[in-house]
Amino acid sequence: MAELVMDQKEFLHTVLPFKDRLYRIAKRLLVSKDEAEDAVQEVFLKLWRGKQNIKKYRSPEAFAITMTKNYCLDRLKSKQAGNMKIVHTNYQTSENLEKKIEANDGVALVFKIMENLPEQQRMILQLRDVEEFEFTEIAKMLDSSETAIRVGLSRARKTVREQLIKKHNYGIC
Amino acid sequence: MESANITPLLEAYFEGETTLAQEKILRAYFASDQVASEHAAYSPLFIGLQVAKEETMVQTITFPKQVKSRWWMGIAASAVIVLSVSAYVYNDSNKLTVEEQEALLAFNQSKEALFLLSKNLNKGSSALGNLNEFTNTTNKYFK
Repeated sequence: MAELVMDQKEFLHTVLPFKDRLYRIAKRLLVSKDEAEDAVQEVFLKLWRGKQNIKKYRSPEAFAITMTKNYCLDRLKSKQAGNMKIVHTNYQTSENLEKKIEANDGVALVFKIMENLPEQQRMILQLRDVEEFEFTEIAKMLDSSETAIRVGLSRARKTVREQLIKKHNYGIC
Repeated sequence: MESANITPLLEAYFEGETTLAQEKILRAYFASDQVASEHAAYSPLFIGLQVAKEETMVQTITFPKQVKSRWWMGIAASAVIVLSVSAYVYNDSNKLTVEEQEALLAFNQSKEALFLLSKNLNKGSSALGNLNEFTNTTNKYFK
């Protein structure tokens, strides 16, 4: 019995630190805050059910990220027919950044542009530029090659730049 | 970092060729107040990425309560089952259906009727006893 309780503690210690990261990834894909929260809850339950196996993975975090990505893509697929998207733009930020955002309504535009990127590119951009993973790690998480990840990342960054510059120039004119 | 060094770094960034450390430098540069005007257009991107990093999930995760199985729980559970089943069976035998109740009533009524009948029949037969007595006495005379 004592062993079981330890297991639970150990499990929580292992997986709970990923919570915010999984949430950000889910939100990047699902856009809606509520849906992202539901997705993370669901992923944690899945991890919980398979908690005997979690130690088998070299990186439980990478495993959890892959699981989150797959879950969200499934959700998007099943949602596609309805084509419903409830967008909650609700960013929690430090005061310092808040000033920066206020001074820069282009930030909201950046998020809008990111929402319209293909899912794979969105994932790559999130994992690299927000979560700061190495290319080798991202390639494993997304079951892809390092080269493909670099190409996808470059495309995503260039798309954001292109659309941002376009708006920026319109703003100036 | 001077803005002159930023331009090639930005170019490498869009080609997907910067390291994590270099990307950190870029974010720090755009978060500072020293952003050169030629780079101003990129500010929203790097500030946006910084904003995205700080997002956290407010809602707490709930896990199903861990069930600690104990040996006495199994015994208690089976005891409850045995008790409830036997109580049900016991109760059931004391309960009569409407039909059974009617039958019982009819039985009691007919028992009473038969009892009265037999009582009267006994009366009649005791009178018959008198008759026997009469025969006995008459027989004394007719021998």
